[in-house]
Amino acid sequence: MTTATARSARFPLWVGALLPLVLVGILTALLLGLDPIGDLRPTPPVESVAFERVTLERDSIELKIRNDGPDPVTIAQVLVNEAYWDYEIDDRELGRLERTSLRLAYPWEEGLPVVIGLVTETGVVIDHEIEAAALTPQADVSTVGVYALLGVYIGVIPVAVGLLWFPALARAARKWVLFFLAFTVGLLAFLLVDTVAEGLELATDAAAFDGLGLFAIGSIGAVLGLVALESFMERRRAASTGLRVAYLIAMGIGLHNLGEGLAVGSAIAAGELALGTFLVLGFALHNTTEGLAIVAPLGGEQERPSLWHFAGLGAVAGAPTILGAWLGGFAFSPSWGAVFFGVAAGAIAQVIWVIGRNMRTDKEPLSGLVAAGFMFGLVIMYLTGLFVAA
Amino acid sequence: MGSLDRRRFLKRFGIAGALGGAAAVTHAVVPHTHQNGGIALAQDDGHDATKRPEMHGGHMVVGEVDHARNGFSPYEILTDFDGGEVSTDTRGRTVREYEFVAVNKEIEVAPGVFFPAWTYNGRVPGPTIRATEGDRIRIQLVNTTEHPHSIHFHGFHTSGMDGVPGQGEALAGETFTYDFIAAPFGTHLYHCHTLPLVQHIHRGLYGAFIVDPKQGRPEANEMVMVMNGFDTNFDGENEIYAINSIAFAYAVKPIEIERNALQRAHVLNITEFDPINSIHIHANFFDLYRTGTSLEPDEFTDTISMGQAERHMIEFTYPEAGHFMFHAHQTEFVDLGWLSAFEVK
Repeated sequence: MTTATARSARFPLWVGALLPLVLVGILTALLLGLDPIGDLRPTPPVESVAFERVTLERDSIELKIRNDGPDPVTIAQVLVNEAYWDYEIDDRELGRLERTSLRLAYPWEEGLPVVIGLVTETGVVIDHEIEAAALTPQADVSTVGVYALLGVYIGVIPVAVGLLWFPALARAARKWVLFFLAFTVGLLAFLLVDTVAEGLELATDAAAFDGLGLFAIGSIGAVLGLVALESFMERRRAASTGLRVAYLIAMGIGLHNLGEGLAVGSAIAAGELALGTFLVLGFALHNTTEGLAIVAPLGGEQERPSLWHFAGLGAVAGAPTILGAWLGGFAFSPSWGAVFFGVAAGAIAQVIWVIGRNMRTDKEPLSGLVAAGFMFGLVIMYLTGLFVAA
Repeated sequence: MGSLDRRRFLKRFGIAGALGGAAAVTHAVVPHTHQNGGIALAQDDGHDATKRPEMHGGHMVVGEVDHARNGFSPYEILTDFDGGEVSTDTRGRTVREYEFVAVNKEIEVAPGVFFPAWTYNGRVPGPTIRATEGDRIRIQLVNTTEHPHSIHFHGFHTSGMDGVPGQGEALAGETFTYDFIAAPFGTHLYHCHTLPLVQHIHRGLYGAFIVDPKQGRPEANEMVMVMNGFDTNFDGENEIYAINSIAFAYAVKPIEIERNALQRAHVLNITEFDPINSIHIHANFFDLYRTGTSLEPDEFTDTISMGQAERHMIEFTYPEAGHFMFHAHQTEFVDLGWLSAFEVK
């Protein structure tokens, strides 16, 4: 004991705190400078390149590529549909995580696949397939408008229509309100699974930046953010309980719709999805039920919230679709996708928790009607989701 | 939008660097850009003709192979016939002695693309052995690699000189001397016959073995064309096809020949993974001497297909000066490097 006291007296606290950091610094310098384990690396480098963005213009293709592997990659030649092709590149030597731009003059044909192969210095071929070549929409006034309209069609209008269930819900008996709350939870549970699945898929595409980590940060951040927001609203008594929950649901759904817009926008931009009537119809049906979910907690309210609140709820839940479509169409990258989908998943999980908690305060056991409502929510989302796939 | 469309139109038809106006009209249409639509990069209005022959337009490799670093050049291999160290034995027979060193070497097979080759004397294809029927050939194989290697000759020899495992193989670090009489005359082949065979051949251990008839042949400009391929990513398919190893080498810089002069090409197929390769010459026909084993042509044609290890001698003459392509008529090989040209002067 005496020696410990003596030591702490001799070294100020900050020295002790810094010492491990200094040692880590020295260790890093030694590792980088002397490379003592360099010989342990297998000789063939692991070459990996991610295709982050492909832009097709008339007779030309531009690729944004990033080295997402552990070793440097040098691009030597480019194959287009199994033929060596002239290309221009900003920087053919890509260090770890470095990104560059590669341009090809190629007379691609509408709707046909184009396979681009990067041949590296060591002879490795890294392929990327454009499934159906199509002009990449440019961010001009008309396409921005079209994407916004897309967001309005699949996000804003359906949610707004769904909100119109409120008058009916307001007059419904308590047990039916519970039924629709359970329906909402079922619906959100479906969206949660859907969002997690898509987010994890994007996370694998964003391996360079540890997509799973990005997804986790997004989702946990969203949960914590919404918890903080809820307690803030509670302290301020900013709104009635029902309205508060409605806003939380709207926010969760809004974040989900941001991801939905992102997915649709980027798929259309990449030529992977045809924007057909069925797709829009599917999304419309799918998202109308989201409006119902938002107004469900308002069913038990004593007085009708002002119309402004309905406009606000609709905007919070629907408008992010527009933003998502823009981001997806013009600036999509799997890394941001993983973050966004993480945020959406976290938000939905948090909202499910909030609604579930509120339903429990009713002190009613899980009735058959509640269970049926939950299942109904799942099934409706499943069925309307089929339209989107078609 | 009008000017933009016009600009695209002009580019498409190869009118460089002009946006309408009389200058563009007098500039005329560059004819060869039609071959691939004459696509130019948006930034590339000037169309730098020094970069590569325009005849191939955008459809080519980018950059240049460093032949000096490779230690061999396809332009030299084309006409590099090696008679060996010549002496006469007690019976008055011509003896040709060679030293082949099996050595591992990374070679550049397309600009910037490196292949871990196994070579004889540091080059792919190996030296072209040139002898006359009846000459005695002595080749010492020095194996400096960590794998066993051999040289298996297509020709007559005794069983012990066959160059297969157990019969004339040089184990790692060892040597073996092949000794046989060159026969029959013809365009022949040698290659490593150590197992696994695909690996030992595909990695670069092969070359031409040309035996002339005793009575000789008419004077001609002779060339060796070894049709080969490289599976650079080791997936069982070639990423590069060529003659004499370097993709597009004779398209980037055509083979210069004289008009009205007899051309004789020894064409060998040692392509792995694809059962058949071929050669087709443009605007002309050739006399085909199958395996080069006769003095009279077997056929008059402009395209000949060859299975693996098949090889023929072809003779032709170009009466007019000009630029003439020749290439495999497995068209996918063309796109991957087996595209060449003669510049007839």
